[in-house]
Amino acid sequence: MEGILSNAVSILVVGMITVLLILWMVVVVGNVLILLTNKFWPLPEGKGTDGSSTVTANKMAAIVAAVQMYTGGKGKITKIEKE
Amino acid sequence: MQEIFSNLFEMTAFGAITWKTVLMWIIAFVLLYLGIRKKYEPLLLIPIGFGVLVANFPGAEMGIVDASNIELGEGRYKNLFEIANEFGILNFLYYSLIKTGFLPPIIFMGVGALTDFGPMLRNLRLAFFGAAAQIGIFSVLIGAILLGFNLNEAASLGIIGGADGPTAIYTTIKLAPHLLGPIAIAAYSYMALVPVIIPLVSKLLITPKEFKINMKEMDKKYPSKRKIKNLKAVKIMFPILLGTIVAIFVPSSVPLLGMLLFGNLVKEVGTATSRLADAASGPIMNTATIFLGLTVGATMTAEVFLTPKTLGIIVGGFIAFAFSITGGILAVKGYNLFVTKKINPLIGATGLSAVPMASRVANELALKYNSGNHILQYCMASNISGVIGSAVAAGVLISLV
Repeated sequence: MEGILSNAVSILVVGMITVLLILWMVVVVGNVLILLTNKFWPLPEGKGTDGSSTVTANKMAAIVAAVQMYTGGKGKITKIEKE
Repeated sequence: MQEIFSNLFEMTAFGAITWKTVLMWIIAFVLLYLGIRKKYEPLLLIPIGFGVLVANFPGAEMGIVDASNIELGEGRYKNLFEIANEFGILNFLYYSLIKTGFLPPIIFMGVGALTDFGPMLRNLRLAFFGAAAQIGIFSVLIGAILLGFNLNEAASLGIIGGADGPTAIYTTIKLAPHLLGPIAIAAYSYMALVPVIIPLVSKLLITPKEFKINMKEMDKKYPSKRKIKNLKAVKIMFPILLGTIVAIFVPSSVPLLGMLLFGNLVKEVGTATSRLADAASGPIMNTATIFLGLTVGATMTAEVFLTPKTLGIIVGGFIAFAFSITGGILAVKGYNLFVTKKINPLIGATGLSAVPMASRVANELALKYNSGNHILQYCMASNISGVIGSAVAAGVLISLV
């Protein structure tokens, strides 16, 4: 019993460290990618930048409803751009 | 004449019905009621409930048989034709789709195609709270051993705290397949009870002042130094790079996490692969869900389910869930002690998976204390990192146990 318990405690320690390490890497990978794309492939302001786009939630809902109505539920919005 | 009636009676199932059979039917009816009437995880509880029902029809031969029945010795097993012929269609499905660990990663691929990493990429520091919320998995592992479960069973019980159905099922298939039915039921039932469990634990640990921490105001007061200038490119590269790194560090989590990230990639690429994303998140995931639910339900025969261990799993699963929420909340509270840009502790509570229900529940709770405090997108950040965290935790358990 003692052996199993000490094994379980070591799994707890190793497990929590691993999960923390991987999520730390998620943060690092995310930050590196943001840094790289900002430097080499930036888009003009408002075109796919992180500001949750220039389309407000209300406008988006109206556009989605209109496309669904027009296409009988088959249509799908993949991109919204202002001309 | 009497012989005819006797033969007729033997042909029916009446003679084989016992109190255990009836009890399992009642359990099946309860699951069906919860799924149909109460809308608790209906996509899973209805197939599982029906699976329980058909598995416990005496003489129908739909219940999943123990693995010892298909073993031939020396690491060899009966082939699928023999399994289908001897034990019926559900055993064929179970041993080809579940026992091989095939369906949970397929469902994860669909989940990936439905997941948006955007909220997490916009609030990367919140991803850490997805790690803290995995504490329930590992602490219940120790508790379960003290209760008399062996290490494999305890690990499968602990993974319920990850609040992720496919992950719980995958881990249990690998470590303790004989507990698959009760663990799947506990995992999905508690996921359905997220709207009850998160408020219950949160109100015990979070003060009214902390409930009112407004994340948008904090962002305005202390704006982020870095803006994302090409979110689409980041979203495409993120699953590729993350998948590669995770595969190197925790290879045993790749079946789940790799498929999740693949599903996400085909979604983010856009129109070029939209057909793949639609297939992964639609027909494939729906088909997988049907077979997963029915076969998991069919593992719950009276002999397997009506044991004291099932009660331990139900109680232990709840504790794992509550500990995970507690871990996330306490991590945020600890973090807030050292920073000026405070975080609402509810965001820690969503560090367990159960996407997006946990986030929705936390958001509603925050709105109760301050009607202008919308924290959904922040909750989604830790919620999504919780999916990654629980898959990694599963990988660790499968490797070490």
